[in-house]
Amino acid sequence: MARETLRNLRRNLTLTLASILTVAVSLSLLGIALLLQRGVSNATDRWQDGVEFIVFLEPEITTNQLGLVQGEIERSAAIESYRYVDQEESYREFNEDFFPENPEITQLVTKEIIPPSYRIIPKQLSAEAIEIVASGFETKPGVKKVVRATDEIQKIEKATDVIRWIVLGAGAILLGTGLLLILNTIRMAIFARRREIEVMKLVGASNSFILVPFMLEGTFQGLVGAALGTASVYGANRAFEEWLASDNVLNILQSFAVGAGDVWAIGGLLLLVGALVGSVGSAIAAYRFLDA
Amino acid sequence: MIKLESVTKVYKGEVLALHQASCDIQKGEFVFLVGQSGSGKSTFLRLLNKEEEPDNGKIFVAGKDIARLRRWRVPQMRRQIGSIFQDFKLLPNKTVSQNVAFALEVIGRPRHVIKTQVPAILDLVGLQTKMNRFPHELSGGEQQRVSIARAFVNRPLILLADEPTGNLDPATSVGIMRLLERINEIGTTVVMATHDRGIVDTMRRRVIELNNGEIVRDQARGVYE
Repeated sequence: MARETLRNLRRNLTLTLASILTVAVSLSLLGIALLLQRGVSNATDRWQDGVEFIVFLEPEITTNQLGLVQGEIERSAAIESYRYVDQEESYREFNEDFFPENPEITQLVTKEIIPPSYRIIPKQLSAEAIEIVASGFETKPGVKKVVRATDEIQKIEKATDVIRWIVLGAGAILLGTGLLLILNTIRMAIFARRREIEVMKLVGASNSFILVPFMLEGTFQGLVGAALGTASVYGANRAFEEWLASDNVLNILQSFAVGAGDVWAIGGLLLLVGALVGSVGSAIAAYRFLDA
Repeated sequence: MIKLESVTKVYKGEVLALHQASCDIQKGEFVFLVGQSGSGKSTFLRLLNKEEEPDNGKIFVAGKDIARLRRWRVPQMRRQIGSIFQDFKLLPNKTVSQNVAFALEVIGRPRHVIKTQVPAILDLVGLQTKMNRFPHELSGGEQQRVSIARAFVNRPLILLADEPTGNLDPATSVGIMRLLERINEIGTTVVMATHDRGIVDTMRRRVIELNNGEIVRDQARGVYE
């Protein structure tokens, strides 16, 4: 059966190549959209679950000052909940979440210079209400800085959202095209072998025996396309990382770096989608044109 | 072995191919189906193979109501039925022995079985010296022998023949009929649609005559008309 599949692939080389390349391009777009999403969510990790502003404290804040700030937060009627992130945790987060693959950056930073912080979820989420509560902390002794989620983060998320949807949309359309191309390739393969198929049915070959080579062929096309797509996503990520490394190290984009684990997970997903598109495309072709 | 109970088949809602046809064919019988073109002979055969579904009536093959067969069971049923045709339906890019072996390969017979069965059946049809020829290198009669070998290599209970001598000259046809007789003598039920008056009249077997889809005659040791 494998031999038959290979022979069919050779017979329809141009169509096969077209299907594979279309799947490859569409899946690399899908992969890049996923990378982008992962990167943005890495970069904005601190702002999850309704955290609207962060009160960064001086690293050398006194216990007394800390008590005062904490008391202020606890007494405030405008605050829904908060979480204290000490230097230990901030340092870990800094290392793991933001610069997992750039040890040279983390070497420059010691735990002592990282500020502890309060992540605060206010009761009211209107911009004015948040502004009133947040600015109240700015002048407190021991407070280094108050950073609001609103401005930059939301801008980044909005911008990348738009890009992501465009890339995702283009990827989806191309993926549909890939499916149709695979369907058509399989239809041609079935047409080329119609005499053999007729004989096979006549002598009582089982339906699966007739179907499987075509399904394999389609799945193979989808998988090869997905492998190419995965390779190009991997390449794109590598290029991005190299670019980050060559730029000045404190570039804000650093936090967009995506860990190797995520890249592999995306690759796995792409292979799965590719195999799915290939087998579904060939199954549709087989059921429509084989009448098995 | 084969039983039709008032079977009706209408193509596209208007062409009446078979109308209330009933007959009963016993194991080991040799039956000619005669009648003009379009009288329903081919439809008769295609219904037995489940290549077509009847619009009405029941068909039993080897004791089973084939309308009630599950889809995935149909291939099993077809393995008990060999088919040959006027146009042979051989695969042009395969040799004689590959054409015959193909029928065994695609139903998953092990290689050692194929290795012994194919030469044996080619010996039976008298083509042992032409195993490695391609179909286009053979005469029409030889090609039909290959197609008989392919249909019979799996030892089916029934052999359906749709005008097997339609493309052959009379002398060659006689050879083919001898072969079909031999296959019938082994116990295979043979149903053969034909236009060949000479063959029917000399062999004197059961004749079922169709006219406009109806069975108008069913005669033991019959003649063409």
